[in-house]
Amino acid sequence: MVGFQRIFFLLAVGLLLLPQAAVAGVMVVVNPRSSVDHLSRDDVINIFMGRFRQLPNGLPASPVDLPVTERAKPEFYRLLVGKDMDQIAAYWSRLVFTGRTAPPMQAGSVEDMIRYLNANPGAVGYMDSNDVDRRVKAVLELK
Amino acid sequence: MTRIWKRSILGGTFFAVAMVALVVGSLFVMVTLKITDERATNRANTRLMELMASAEQTAAIACFANDVTLATETARGLTLSSDVLDVAVISGGRELARVFRKGARQPPGNVPLPGRLVAPLYSPFNPSEKIGELRLDPNLESIRATVFEEIRYVALLLVLLAAAMVSAVAAVLGVLVVRPVKTMSDQLHVMDAGAGERLPVPRGHEESELGRLAGDINGLTGKLVAAAMKEHELRLQRELDERKYRAIFDNVEAGIFLVDGEFRLKSFNPAFGRLMRLALAERYREIAGFRLSELPWLDGEGLAALVNGCLADNAARSDDLELDLAEGGRRWFNLVLRPVGEGLAQGMASDVTERRLAEQKARQQLVTDDLTSVANRAGLEAVLRARIEAHASAEHTEFALLLVDLDGFKRVNDALGLPVGDEILRNTARRLQSCLYEEDVVARMGGDEFAVIARAGTGEEGVARVAERIVSVLNFSFLVADAPAQLGASVGVALFPGDGRDVPTLLRNAELALDRARANGGHRCQFFDSSMAQAAQALRRLDTDMHLAVRRHEFRLFLQPIVNLLERRLVGAEALLRWQHKERGMVPPDAFIPVAEETGFIREIGLWVLEAACQQLALWQGEGQEYYLSINISGRQVPDGLTPAMLLDATRRHGIVPERLVLEITEGVLINDMVKAQSWLAEVHEKGFRIYLDDFGTGYSSLSYLKRFPVDTVKVDQSFVRDMSDDSSDRKLVEAVVAMAHSLDMQVVAEGVENATQARLLRDMGCCHAQGYYFSRPVPAQDFAAVAEEITRRFALEQ
Repeated sequence: MVGFQRIFFLLAVGLLLLPQAAVAGVMVVVNPRSSVDHLSRDDVINIFMGRFRQLPNGLPASPVDLPVTERAKPEFYRLLVGKDMDQIAAYWSRLVFTGRTAPPMQAGSVEDMIRYLNANPGAVGYMDSNDVDRRVKAVLELK
Repeated sequence: MTRIWKRSILGGTFFAVAMVALVVGSLFVMVTLKITDERATNRANTRLMELMASAEQTAAIACFANDVTLATETARGLTLSSDVLDVAVISGGRELARVFRKGARQPPGNVPLPGRLVAPLYSPFNPSEKIGELRLDPNLESIRATVFEEIRYVALLLVLLAAAMVSAVAAVLGVLVVRPVKTMSDQLHVMDAGAGERLPVPRGHEESELGRLAGDINGLTGKLVAAAMKEHELRLQRELDERKYRAIFDNVEAGIFLVDGEFRLKSFNPAFGRLMRLALAERYREIAGFRLSELPWLDGEGLAALVNGCLADNAARSDDLELDLAEGGRRWFNLVLRPVGEGLAQGMASDVTERRLAEQKARQQLVTDDLTSVANRAGLEAVLRARIEAHASAEHTEFALLLVDLDGFKRVNDALGLPVGDEILRNTARRLQSCLYEEDVVARMGGDEFAVIARAGTGEEGVARVAERIVSVLNFSFLVADAPAQLGASVGVALFPGDGRDVPTLLRNAELALDRARANGGHRCQFFDSSMAQAAQALRRLDTDMHLAVRRHEFRLFLQPIVNLLERRLVGAEALLRWQHKERGMVPPDAFIPVAEETGFIREIGLWVLEAACQQLALWQGEGQEYYLSINISGRQVPDGLTPAMLLDATRRHGIVPERLVLEITEGVLINDMVKAQSWLAEVHEKGFRIYLDDFGTGYSSLSYLKRFPVDTVKVDQSFVRDMSDDSSDRKLVEAVVAMAHSLDMQVVAEGVENATQARLLRDMGCCHAQGYYFSRPVPAQDFAAVAEEITRRFALEQ
């Protein structure tokens, strides 16, 4: 009993000491000139998880991932489908095996993503809410 | 052919164990196989489910991403299992992929196969969103084959196990139980217990139930052998006893037999045959049906009653029965029957003819008078009872009872002796019989009294004729020892039923009539009438009263002075008995003295008188008076009622001299029994008592009495004295008596002197003493002193 109590105590302390995500929220963004103003969560999931890559305006959707270094990436998948990055990786490893569906394109940085978004009208990305600016259009806020 | 398992316990045990094991094993195997089947099937199902679960995630991803290749690969991976027939991945109703196991037979069409397993597929990112399903058809043939293989294996194991267990159990049972039992059984089978052999205890079983069984069997065997030996001994003893009893049965003198309710003789001994004078043929006639009732019994009903009574009441019975035998005449047999069960009675017969005859004779003697051979009193009473009984049921059976008394027999008997008396009695019986009818009965009642029962069919006259005839035939005179003797008869008659309806009444009434006949002088016949009974009753009452009178002190002595005429003085008194009856007042002596004499009570009264007289004399002696006192003696008191010793005793007790007491006797005393009276008188006189002869002149007045008896004084009866003054003959008579007395040196007392003339006449003729009303009536004792004074005074005046 004493042992369990001690373990619980240590766990609690550990949790408190974890670095709090500085991310206030994750914003799904598209090309500012896109006619798409809003995407549903399911739309975002279909696009990012490779099921149905088409925007409501009929354009083929092209998802873009942040690099793993960006804190917003795991936050995005956590908020979107409730999975950590390992699980996401395991998912893709099975689909990649068949070669039929590809994972989102990997952007080098937030800036890189912004550029790609501006360059591709069908591109869909995401970023920390604090990083959103006029160069992108937010279509869904994930909290 | 007996089956071995029925003959041998060993074979039987093995067979039974095997059969039981087979049945139980089969059941067990069936249950086990069933369970194994289910478990194997379940296990296959579980395996398939697990297989599906392992592929579910990948299939879901394939579905989510609509990746046919991934789906196909996933399905193919599943079909690698031999249990799987085919796998399909359905996405949104569309078959994304379907793969059949290689080599497996492809089912036709799209029909769902039995046992198809379906697992829903959910979106990897939204567990609540169903995006397809995974279908799996199990390879049933393969699964069955696996299950069957397992079952076969298990069954084999079980059968082997059962066989091994059965063998083991049978072997253990055989060694531990069956073989010892079989051994014991075999040994017991051939064991000769009578020769002392015993069952050995199986080795190693000394303490077990088998050991105890062997011990018990041996114990029981011992007891059985002992019982058998005892039985044998008893049988020997019984045979011995039976021979013994048989000998007794055959040789005993009494006839022994067994008889049943039909009188059939079941068995009888030789003595019975001899007793019953059975012909030889009958003696050996077998039990088959010779009946006891075939014998010539005189009283067949008596025999039937005896046998039936014995068997019906189940109680011993005995009776004497008479048999009219051809040889030997009539014989009496005493039969004693005792029930012995099974409707049989054991009887014993003995010849009791002698005893019966003796009894008959004894009975006859009981009712017969030895002397005269006529009936005695008991016989008479028996006849009377029989006649009275007969009267109740038949007409014209009236009869008369005559009691006959021989007058004067006692005197003759006394005078002539017993042999003569006996001859007279025998003669009387013969004479009585001679004047009677055949059916009339003569009996001797005792002494000289006879009784006759005569038929009274012709009425009272007929009876009277018979009675008169009796009186006349018994009026006989005869010579005995050269002296003529005269006898007569008195007859009292009582008629039945008029004068009494029972024996005692008849006898009493006839006796009363006889008494009357005797009282009337005898030589006559007297019929009973009711006044006799009344008189008798009055007498009885009087008798009772007299007895009471003594206790109630109702008797008194009255004293009548006796004077000396010559010396003119009082010399004594005569004591006279008076009875002051409680209810009837003064009872005159005439009314009770004769009765008292009749009953003998006069003796009691006499003793009382003696006592009272002595008291009076003692009183006078105390007063200095020298009076004497005379008491009257009855004939019944002499000689035993008032012996000289009694007299002497009384006077001594009161301290008086005998000379003061005078005993007055009458001629009757002397006549009754002259010899005894004479000796009594002599003795009394010799003791000093004076004797007066009372009532002189009224009876025989035989002068020889005066000569023979020691009489001191004669008392001249008052009847002479009373008429003396008028009748010169009476005067001369008294004068003669006085003269005669004087000449015999006796004194004279004149009784009944009533006047001065008589007194003077008596004095003139020299009569010394006198008593009578002239001097004084009899007075109570307490008044005597006054009377004495008065008389003394009168004598003084006369001078």
